[in-house]
Amino acid sequence: MRIGEKGFLWKFALLAALVTGILLSTGPLVFARVKEVRIADSKGDWGYPNPYRHYPRGPGYIRMSWVFDTLIWKDDKGYIPALAGKWTYDPKALSFTFELRKGVKWHDGRPFSSEDVVFTIDYFKKHPYTWVPMGSVAGAEARGKEKVVIKLNKPYAPFLADIGGVLPILPKHIWQNVIDPRKYNDPKAFIGCGPYKFMDFNKAKGTYLYEAFEEYYQGRPRADRLIYIKARNPIMTLSSGKADLANIKPDMAKTLRKKGMVILENARGWNKKLMINHKKSPFHDRRFRKALAHAINRQEIIEKAHRGFGSPASFGLLSPDHEFYNPNTPIYDPDPAGARRILESMGYVKGADGFYTRDGLALKTEVLASNITVAGESVADRDGEVIKRQLEGVGIRVDLVNMEQATADGRIKKWNFDVAISGHGGLLGDARILNQMILPKVTGSVNSTRFGANEELVKLLKAQIAEMDISKRKAIVFKIQEIYADEVPAISLYYPASMAAYNPKKGIRWYFTKGGISVGIPISQNKMSLVK
Amino acid sequence: MPIYPKHSMKSRLGSVISLGIAALAMIYLSYSLPRLLPGDFVTAMYSSSQVTLNAQQEAEHRAYYTEEPGFSRYLLRLVRLDWGYSYAFLTPVSELFLSALPCTLLLLGTANIIAMFIGFITGVEAAWRRESPFEKGMVGGMTVLEGIPEISTGIILLVVFALNLQWFPAAGADTAYAEVSIWVRLATIGHHLVLPLATLVLAYFPGNFLLTRNSVMMVIKAPFVTTARAKGLPPRRIRYAHAARNALLPLVTRFGLRLAFMITGALVVEKIFSYPGLGTLLINAIQARDLPVIQAVVLFSSLIVLTIILCLEFAYRIIDPRIEHAH
Repeated sequence: MRIGEKGFLWKFALLAALVTGILLSTGPLVFARVKEVRIADSKGDWGYPNPYRHYPRGPGYIRMSWVFDTLIWKDDKGYIPALAGKWTYDPKALSFTFELRKGVKWHDGRPFSSEDVVFTIDYFKKHPYTWVPMGSVAGAEARGKEKVVIKLNKPYAPFLADIGGVLPILPKHIWQNVIDPRKYNDPKAFIGCGPYKFMDFNKAKGTYLYEAFEEYYQGRPRADRLIYIKARNPIMTLSSGKADLANIKPDMAKTLRKKGMVILENARGWNKKLMINHKKSPFHDRRFRKALAHAINRQEIIEKAHRGFGSPASFGLLSPDHEFYNPNTPIYDPDPAGARRILESMGYVKGADGFYTRDGLALKTEVLASNITVAGESVADRDGEVIKRQLEGVGIRVDLVNMEQATADGRIKKWNFDVAISGHGGLLGDARILNQMILPKVTGSVNSTRFGANEELVKLLKAQIAEMDISKRKAIVFKIQEIYADEVPAISLYYPASMAAYNPKKGIRWYFTKGGISVGIPISQNKMSLVK
Repeated sequence: MPIYPKHSMKSRLGSVISLGIAALAMIYLSYSLPRLLPGDFVTAMYSSSQVTLNAQQEAEHRAYYTEEPGFSRYLLRLVRLDWGYSYAFLTPVSELFLSALPCTLLLLGTANIIAMFIGFITGVEAAWRRESPFEKGMVGGMTVLEGIPEISTGIILLVVFALNLQWFPAAGADTAYAEVSIWVRLATIGHHLVLPLATLVLAYFPGNFLLTRNSVMMVIKAPFVTTARAKGLPPRRIRYAHAARNALLPLVTRFGLRLAFMITGALVVEKIFSYPGLGTLLINAIQARDLPVIQAVVLFSSLIVLTIILCLEFAYRIIDPRIEHAH
């Protein structure tokens, strides 16, 4: 071997050591690629992963999000660029301008352009996609191939949260001839420009298969294949290596941590809620609703029905982890004596049996309970039993009725109930959730209080949506929380602990998204975990 | 329905006609009963959704996704073997149904055959060895096992063999999308089948054993068995060709009825082991108020019951010719 060759080898070895050192200093397995990632889910079937065919729940949207990208997205710190690298808002023109990335391709190899964005806006206006409210959008205009201007017809504060970060962009060359998108089930209906290509959905088995899109504009995804499997028991599925990520119940965390899993706990974004039929006597009387709030000991529900895994919720609906949370929102401490005083001030008289009557009629209420779906998992609990005991302790007779969820939902929707245990998420997303969960004209959600009795509240809710100045909007939202808590049209009971676990051996870091994925989905399956 | 008809042809025709009338009634019930469920598809889909609908959107969704064909149109469609479209998937119900059927057949069919075979053999042997420790032990053990519900057996098997020993998978019918050869795939399917199958076999086997043992005990002292013994026939032939054959009817009935309820029969097991099948399809359809799918599963289930009852009618005559001449 000549001296020169020896010198070259020496330099090469030095360079290799240097590169290895740099790689290791940025963290282990940063550039690791894995063959496949498996995610377990207890239900399995969430519909086909395109905008018109996924089920209208968080897990359905997430399955679609692997295939279709949006203009912007969120990670664990907040908004990040997606198809749009930059965006600005012009208040005078009431328009958002998005500068699109270069070199983006659809899964069929065709180039993506601003025309696709304009087409998508027009198409969703013509064929509504229920996840994206298009009422505030006047239209979109392409300015060259890499710039789009979306014009609003009125100020709409949640634009980025509701539209920019939610709207899946469709390929014009495929969808332009589709007349009925809900029935369009051609393989082309699943061509997007997201990090994964949709390969298969087995309806009977509840399994999904995706394959990495080699030419993804943010770099090739880290797992060659992404697979969703149906499995009910995350401890077994994770510890046996059948899945790499799953939602778990809080009491599983300790066991799974011992088995080397990483446990994720989400911020408080989902609340269990006591719906009150405020259209019916005596629940229409705010004093009575306040008596109920004082009669219920929420910490006791958490301790007895959930082994302490949870925390009492804000009476103003928004989560204490939300940037618009008002720390001065009224609180109703558990106070049975106070609840009795209110009832007696309303003319109720306590009988020898300890229960109240008024005008000879017993004070009696039905508590409607059912298994609630939380982040796609059906969760049984004993909340109804604890609440029954607490209300009876105050002197209100209770009939506890447990029903299957769809039946209970049907009754709540038709106002055929007294009080009902329900729940919903979205409390970390945009404050538009307040409008969704309070305004009276909402019909599709059974979690909405549909409360229009307080005109000021309704006015403020409409105002906050149109306020583009963040500090002014925050002030309005503060006031909304105060009024809502004072009216108690429903009682936010508690935030159950929401957890997921993953196997860190594959070098993939999963996380809960700040504000939840898209409109606030509290699931730790952000596609950016497999991209960056 | 006459069980022991006078004239075989006439009685067979009578059976078929009665079952035809029953089938029509079942078709009507499969149409009308799911409609009595409270709630509807749109409410079920959107009630726990992150998105909310306004009144106009809700009405539009309801008009698009749900339909009210009327019984006559429903009947006409059935004649054309058109089971309608699932509201949730917007795909033909038959496609959904056929994708779930193989797993149900594999699990329930295998479980029933194994449980019947083992139950029959052990039942005959126990009856033949009555008062022996084997018979006493089996009767005691099977009585206890018969009292344990499937849910308990399933969970015990799951905890022991899936969680602690990790010998068998805890969920599913195979390893989804595994890139393996057909033989490895078949082995994987078998591997996944073990625990749910064992749960069902343990649930069905004790009943089969006790039924066979009791039936054989009834005939074991009958004159024809004594005659067979006197003729010097081998004991195994006496047990199975003479005694057991005459005691077979109740077991065949039980086997038939178990098969007839194969859709609902494995609901618990499907749930525990996340095993795909018609039971899961039905539960999901009920939760989503997907009426066409509920109708199809209910109808198929009831028609299977009728068909198996009809088959049993004919099977009885083959197994026991006395039935043909009972009158």
